[in-house]
Amino acid sequence: MFSTGFLKKHVYDLAAYAGLIATFILFLVFSGDKLTYNMTTVIQAGAVYAVIALGAVFVYSMGYMDVSVGQQVGVYAILIILITNRMGGTLAGVIISFLVILAIAMVCGAFNGAVAVWLKLPSIVTSLFLMFFFTGAQLLLMESTGTNSISIQATIKPADRNTYNLVLVAAIVIVTLAVTYFFRFSKLGKYTKGIGANEIATAQSGINTLKWKVVAYMAFGICVAIGTFIMLMRTGSAGKGTGSGYAMDIMICLILGGMPLSGGMKSKVSSALIGTFTYVLLSNDLATMGVSLNMINFVKAVIFIGIIFVTCRKKDNVLPR
Amino acid sequence: MEQLMIEVKNMCKNFGPTKALHNVDVKFYRGQIRGLVGENGSGKSTITSIIAGMQKATSGEIFYKGEPWNPGSMVEAQKAGISMVLQEANTISNCTIAENIFAGRFDEFSKFGFVNMKKVNEEAQRILDSFNISHIKALDNINQYGFEERKLVEIVRCVSEDTDVFVVDETTTALSLEGRQLLYKLIHRLKDQGKSVIFISHDMDEILEQCTHLTVLRDGEIIGHLDRNEMDMPNAEQVIRYMMVGREIGDSYYREDYDSSHSEKVALELKNVSLGAIKDFSLTLHEGEIIGFGGLSGCGMHEIGRIAFGLEKPEQGTVERNGQKITGCHEAIRSGIGYISKNRDMEALILEGSIQDNITLPSKTELSKATFISPLKEKKMADKEIEAFRIKCGDGKQWVNTLSGGNKQKVSFAKWTAKGSDVIIMDCPTRGVDIGVKQFMYELINEMKKQGKAIILISEEMSELIGMADKIIVMKDFLITKEFMRNKDLSETDMIEYMI
Repeated sequence: MFSTGFLKKHVYDLAAYAGLIATFILFLVFSGDKLTYNMTTVIQAGAVYAVIALGAVFVYSMGYMDVSVGQQVGVYAILIILITNRMGGTLAGVIISFLVILAIAMVCGAFNGAVAVWLKLPSIVTSLFLMFFFTGAQLLLMESTGTNSISIQATIKPADRNTYNLVLVAAIVIVTLAVTYFFRFSKLGKYTKGIGANEIATAQSGINTLKWKVVAYMAFGICVAIGTFIMLMRTGSAGKGTGSGYAMDIMICLILGGMPLSGGMKSKVSSALIGTFTYVLLSNDLATMGVSLNMINFVKAVIFIGIIFVTCRKKDNVLPR
Repeated sequence: MEQLMIEVKNMCKNFGPTKALHNVDVKFYRGQIRGLVGENGSGKSTITSIIAGMQKATSGEIFYKGEPWNPGSMVEAQKAGISMVLQEANTISNCTIAENIFAGRFDEFSKFGFVNMKKVNEEAQRILDSFNISHIKALDNINQYGFEERKLVEIVRCVSEDTDVFVVDETTTALSLEGRQLLYKLIHRLKDQGKSVIFISHDMDEILEQCTHLTVLRDGEIIGHLDRNEMDMPNAEQVIRYMMVGREIGDSYYREDYDSSHSEKVALELKNVSLGAIKDFSLTLHEGEIIGFGGLSGCGMHEIGRIAFGLEKPEQGTVERNGQKITGCHEAIRSGIGYISKNRDMEALILEGSIQDNITLPSKTELSKATFISPLKEKKMADKEIEAFRIKCGDGKQWVNTLSGGNKQKVSFAKWTAKGSDVIIMDCPTRGVDIGVKQFMYELINEMKKQGKAIILISEEMSELIGMADKIIVMKDFLITKEFMRNKDLSETDMIEYMI
C-alpha cells in the first residue's frame, strides 16, 4: 500500500481524483436511463470550461489569476455573431470573426501580463480593469443591436449530435495535447512554474519574466477565444449576461483539480481536466438529484470555501497574487 | 551536579528514503553552550528544528525539563522557553522594527482591544539599547536595514527572560565581527544564568572559543562528544574534523600556489560606474583571474557584484563584456556571466522545486530544440552536476528545500557550471557550508581558474580571500581603500587596517 510519505506528498492529487471518481459514481447512479443524454450534457458543458481552464493553467501556475474571463467570453461571443451576421453568415465570416476575437484575446492577454509588470501591479488589478472594460463593451454592443439577445445566422454546430460530441471531444483532446506540450516540454511551462515558485530566482537565472508573463497570458487568451467559440456552437446566441460567472467557475474548477493557487512547481495540466469534470458532474448530479438551482450554488459555495480553508492552511497554497 | 535541560532519545527522522537522523541520543544541560558540528546534511539542524517545533521526528523521544516534549509549532516551543535563530532571514518585511520584535505579543500592550503603540515602540527601543544596538531604531521600517541588522533584530525578538534554551543555527555567518561579539556576550550571559545554549556553526575557531561542550555528527548519527578539556587539546581541531568528515583533511584547503598570472584577455569590465554611494568605480577582470573583494558588511562590495551582473543599473558608467554593454541580468547570463547570490534561498534557488529544475533553469535555451525540451536531456544535465558536485540526495527529483545548506549551495553553483558560464560572480559562496564542502568549492574555484574562467569572489572571510584570490580589493565606505596582489606573506592583519 501507499506509504505515509507518499500520501502526504500527493494528498491534493488524491483528493482531486477521489472527488472526480465520487462525482462520476453519483452521476452513474442518478442518471439511470438518462445516462446517454446526461453524458452529452456533461461533454457540452465541460468542453467550454475545460478549454478555458486548460489555458488558465499557464496563468495560475505563475500564482496569478484573471477575473475578466467571463466578460471577455461575453464580448467575444457577441463580436463573432455581429461580424458573422454582417458578412452574411458565410463560412468566411465565421473564420474572420474568430480570427478577430483571437487577436483581441491575445492583445488583452499581452496587456494583462505587460501592464501588471510595468506598473508593478498585482495582475488581478489589471484583470479587474479589463473586467470593467469588457462589461461596458458588452453592454454597449448589445445596446447597439437594440435587443437583449442576438443569434448567429450561420451553421456552426454539426446537425448530428454524435458528430457534435465528437467535435467537442476532439477539441478537448487537441487543446489538452497542445497545453500539455507547452506546459511540460517547452520553456513556457517551465518558466511560468518558475515564476510562481520564486520569481526573483527565476529572473536571476536569466529568464525574461516580463516576456514569459505576456506569453502565458496570450496563450490563455487563445484558449478563451476557442472556448468562446465552443460555447457559441452550443448556444448559437449571446446577450448581456453571456459569460457571467465564468471567472469564478474556472477558478473553482482548477482548485477542485488540485491546482495550488500560489502556482509553482506543483501546478499540473491535469488539474484543469479533473477539476472541470468534477465541477460539471457535480452540477449535473445535484440537478438530477432534484436539488434546486439556488441550492446547487449554495453547495458549490460550501465546497469552494471548504477547499480554500484546507489549502490556505498550508503556507505554499495561499491565494493568487 | 549538572542539571539536565533536554534529553533526546533514539531520535530518527526520515525524508522519504533519506535518513536525516538515525537513533540519535544527546543531552543538553543547564549552564552549557553545546556546539553541534558536522558536515552539511549531518543532521545538526534537523535535531534542533525538531526540538524547536519546526518539524516532527519520525520516531524517538525528547524530554524537556524531565517531561516528554513534542511541540506542535515554534510558537509553542517559544512559549515554553525554547527559542531558535535560523541561518536565513526570518523577519517580517514592511513592518517597523518594534512590530517585528513584538510580533504575536501585542496582547501585552493591549487594553480593550487597542494596542498602545507608543508603549510598544518605547519597550522595543529599550530592548535594542540593552543589547547595545541603539543604532537600530524601533520606529524604522525593517526594509531600511540590511541582512545583518535584521538578524540582530531576530535575536532580540527570540531572547527574553523566559528563554531557557537558545538555539543558534549558523547565524554568525550573517554577522560582522561586531554582531558576533554581541551574540557571544549574549550566549555566555545565558549560560551564566543557568540556561542552555545550542550553538551550530561551521566556523571551527568560533566553536572552539565559545562552546563549553561539543557534539559531533556525521550522516545523521552522533559520532562523539567532547568536553572543554578535550576541546583545549592542541590537536582538537584536527580530531574534530576527522570525526566530522571521516577522513583526514589537511590544515590548508586553499590554493597552494602563489602564481597570480592570468590571460591578458579581458573578461569583464566595469567602467567608471556610479550608483548611490559608489562613485566612479572601475574594474578589469581577466580570463583565468580571481579578483577578491573584502570589507566589512555595508562597505559596498556586495553592490559591486550586483552591478557587475546587471541586477543594479548604474547611474553612470557601463559594465561591458566582449565589447557589449550589460544592461540587465538577462544580457549578463547570455554573455556568459553567472552569479551566486549571498541570499541563496531568496534569490538563487527555487526551494519548492527539484534539484533538476534548479540546475537546468538557466540552460533551458540550450536544452530546447524547436521549442521542445527533452526531459532526458534535462535529467542528464542535472545528474552530471549532481555527480560532479557530490550533492547528497536521492535523485534529481528531490526538492531543494529538503537539502542541507551546503548541498543547496552546491546546487546554486551547479546552475552556472551546467550553463558553462565563463565569468562567475560569487557573493559569499561558502557562507554557512562545512569544511568538507568548502574544500570542494575551493578546489572547484581553482579548477575554474585553470580553465580560464574569470571569477569575482566577494567574501567576508579574509582567510578565504587571501587563500584564493589573485588580487584582493579591500573596500570601506563604498571606496577602494587598498589592493593586494597574491602574496604568501599577506596576512589578515594587513587587510584589517584598510577595512576598519
